Amino acid sequence: MTAEIVRTNNLHKTYDQNGAKPYEALKGITFSVQQGEFVGIMGASGSGKTTLLNIMATLDQPTSGSVEIDGKDVTHLTPNQMSDFRSEKLGFIFQDFNLLETLTAQENIALPLSLQNKKAAETKRAVVAAAKKLGIDELLTKYPTQLSGGQKQRVAAARALVANPSIIFGDEPTGALDSTNARELLDTLTSINQQGVSILLVTHDPFSASFCKRILFIKDGKIGDEIKADGKSRNEFYQQILEKLGTFEQ
Amino acid sequence: MLFKISLSGVKSRWKDYLVLFSGMMITTAIFYMFETISTNDKFTTNSPVGQNAKVVFIFGSILLAIITLVYVFYANNFLMSMRKHDYGLFMMLGAKSKVISRLIILETLVIGLASTAVGIVIGVGVTKGLSGLLSNQIHVSLTNFSAFYMPAVWTTVILFLVLFVIAGLVNARTFFKTSALNLLRSNQESDWKDPKKRTLWIQAILGLVLLAAGYYAMYDINKLLLMAIPIALVTIILGTYFVFNSFFVMILEAVQRSSISFKGLNNFTVSQLKFRIRDYTRILSVVSLLFALALGAITVGIGFQRMVPMMANGNNAYAVGITNPSSKMKSLVSGINNKNQVTYQQKVNSQTKTIYYRSSQFKNQPFKYAHFTNRTQLKSQVNDAQLSQLKDQTSEAYAGLNNVQSPLTRNLRIKFVSNVAFNQIRSKTNTLLLVRVTNMDAAAQTLSKIVNLQTRQYGKKVSEGLGIGGSYVTYQLLKGVFGSLEFMGIFLGIAFLAMLASCLMFKILSGAANDQTRFEMLNKIGARKSVLNRSILIQILGLFLLPAVLGIIDVAFGLQMFVKANLLHNAYQTFGWSALGFSVLYLIYYGMTVIIYSKIVVPKTRMEK
Repeated sequence: MTAEIVRTNNLHKTYDQNGAKPYEALKGITFSVQQGEFVGIMGASGSGKTTLLNIMATLDQPTSGSVEIDGKDVTHLTPNQMSDFRSEKLGFIFQDFNLLETLTAQENIALPLSLQNKKAAETKRAVVAAAKKLGIDELLTKYPTQLSGGQKQRVAAARALVANPSIIFGDEPTGALDSTNARELLDTLTSINQQGVSILLVTHDPFSASFCKRILFIKDGKIGDEIKADGKSRNEFYQQILEKLGTFEQ
Repeated sequence: MLFKISLSGVKSRWKDYLVLFSGMMITTAIFYMFETISTNDKFTTNSPVGQNAKVVFIFGSILLAIITLVYVFYANNFLMSMRKHDYGLFMMLGAKSKVISRLIILETLVIGLASTAVGIVIGVGVTKGLSGLLSNQIHVSLTNFSAFYMPAVWTTVILFLVLFVIAGLVNARTFFKTSALNLLRSNQESDWKDPKKRTLWIQAILGLVLLAAGYYAMYDINKLLLMAIPIALVTIILGTYFVFNSFFVMILEAVQRSSISFKGLNNFTVSQLKFRIRDYTRILSVVSLLFALALGAITVGIGFQRMVPMMANGNNAYAVGITNPSSKMKSLVSGINNKNQVTYQQKVNSQTKTIYYRSSQFKNQPFKYAHFTNRTQLKSQVNDAQLSQLKDQTSEAYAGLNNVQSPLTRNLRIKFVSNVAFNQIRSKTNTLLLVRVTNMDAAAQTLSKIVNLQTRQYGKKVSEGLGIGGSYVTYQLLKGVFGSLEFMGIFLGIAFLAMLASCLMFKILSGAANDQTRFEMLNKIGARKSVLNRSILIQILGLFLLPAVLGIIDVAFGLQMFVKANLLHNAYQTFGWSALGFSVLYLIYYGMTVIIYSKIVVPKTRMEK
């Protein structure tokens, strides 16, 4: 059977601003993501989903509890180990692409590999392979300003994919795209997922979420509910999400 | 209410404001420093170049005002970029644009005036400190110069007031032209376009050719004469611009194509640097030229200073000659380090108008005389005088000895006689004490005390035009002449340096907010903090180093004008030292920029949160 790629155990996060009342963003979150899954985390603003993502991505530290990624407890790494871990095991797709305007698409995609000091030839091969997967191999020498929003997001996806990460984290990756481009990116993510890459998407958009295979709903720092696509068509799943949101948010 | 909100906005970003504020204060302080000399007619026109100095300073004031203008606008852009979001928010909340415009102008003016006031206070302090230090170091007494000078205060206040009113109006205008939504989402994205290869090549070649032409013009000043200066000025300014806009970019592109760029963040670092250089072409060119001007001013200033003892040394081998030294003078002389002294006996016969010396004494301890072997290069030599030379009244040796006689007997003839004949002369035996020093600058204080005592002793004669002899008096005289010139050179050089480095620092820092997201992303995809820091070190080093290198080359060729015209001696040695000192100050700015910039852009690790 498939292995667990992410496992969180009883995660708590309390923001203790000096003077102000401590604010508990996460109140004991436990869940796991299996190898090759496409999981969505949904919740309203302030529900704690970004905090959860940041902790899983080793960008923030939980107050208590632990996160294991690919069998490794990442909550007690040194800053350098965390950086290396992110560059080797994690892929990121951000809402506003976050491409470097002064680098070509190819150079942008190569960044994670350069950070691992991979050989130039190996890097080039991997970049071309990732670009082909996303259908942007024609655009490699272009600068971000010469690309459309959707193309930029696919370059960003290729960058997330290029180092063969254990899992890709997406933080509202369609947030800055129009519906056509959003659709295209989600289709791309689905096809990447079908090739065996685990994906964890944080979103509040039901349409984006309907591409996932499983959705966790977060409310007030706790996992409130969970639904699965289980062979339903995407449309049916979308309707189910809408219904769930209707009852869940109240 | 809005004012309250705006105040709280300032509070929440006080670190950024601190950068802005300190930048403005430094600029004001430097401008004030410059104006203390520039507006002080008595001080400038007293220098040997007299009225010409005034022209130089008017020119300098205009130049500095332009730079200040650029600086204020950068600072202002930075201020606006920080406030945009708040203003957008106020608009969304329903504030009328009129109210906000007023707020913007008010804010700009308050910040401007406050920094001007504090800047002037700092300026007075720095001027006092620096002028005191310099006048001590180069042994120049500054008459007619004071650190607190009212006309300078007024000039500074008026200039900055005008600049800030303009800046406030410009801010209000940009604000009017931008919609509230755009203000709210004012995350500027750079619109980098890769420059066309052909344009790059043409500009690079043109830039190098122009620079070469400018350098040649300065090098061959003897042939081109005064034409050299305008030719060099135009070609070097244009050349510098093109070299920044293309040549350096091409070099970086070559680096990018090499395999080095695949290691770590190298590609990011180089591409950022490339982008910056093209984005900052104008300011980098200005910085480079200012660097050259400042370094040139210091080198020439120090060069003149170093020439003074050389001129004095060729004038007489002895610093002072004292006839019948008092015990106080003797003790002063014994306090001088690294000296040689010699004593001769003399008798004066006022009827025959002759001073008699013992030949034997001059044989046993020969009199030393100085003479220039190459007057234009100020090379001089000190030789032992033969008795035959001393007997020749037209010889340099005789002139040297005559020069160190007391003013009372300077117009008498000097004769050398045997011991027997000397003893037969019926008059009082005087002693002539001659003191030679190896380091005039070091001995200057004691020597000046001795000369003061002598002046008091011979009061009347000295005022009649027969001064105290010896090379120290010449030294003192030249110091008076060149002193203010050196002082201006060094003082202005330091002021220019501080200005250009602040300007560059500020330009870099004002872009830092936009770079934050880039570094945030790099951190997320796994760049170690040390890798990010190294990238910053290199990026900023490039921005500091390139204009400096170009500036140093400018000066290296520019000095040829002084060398060829025999105005400066040992120019390159002086240049080396001043470039070194200059670089140290410049490095301090570099370090400060790196630290502040890193603080702004490098994301905190979760340990630090």
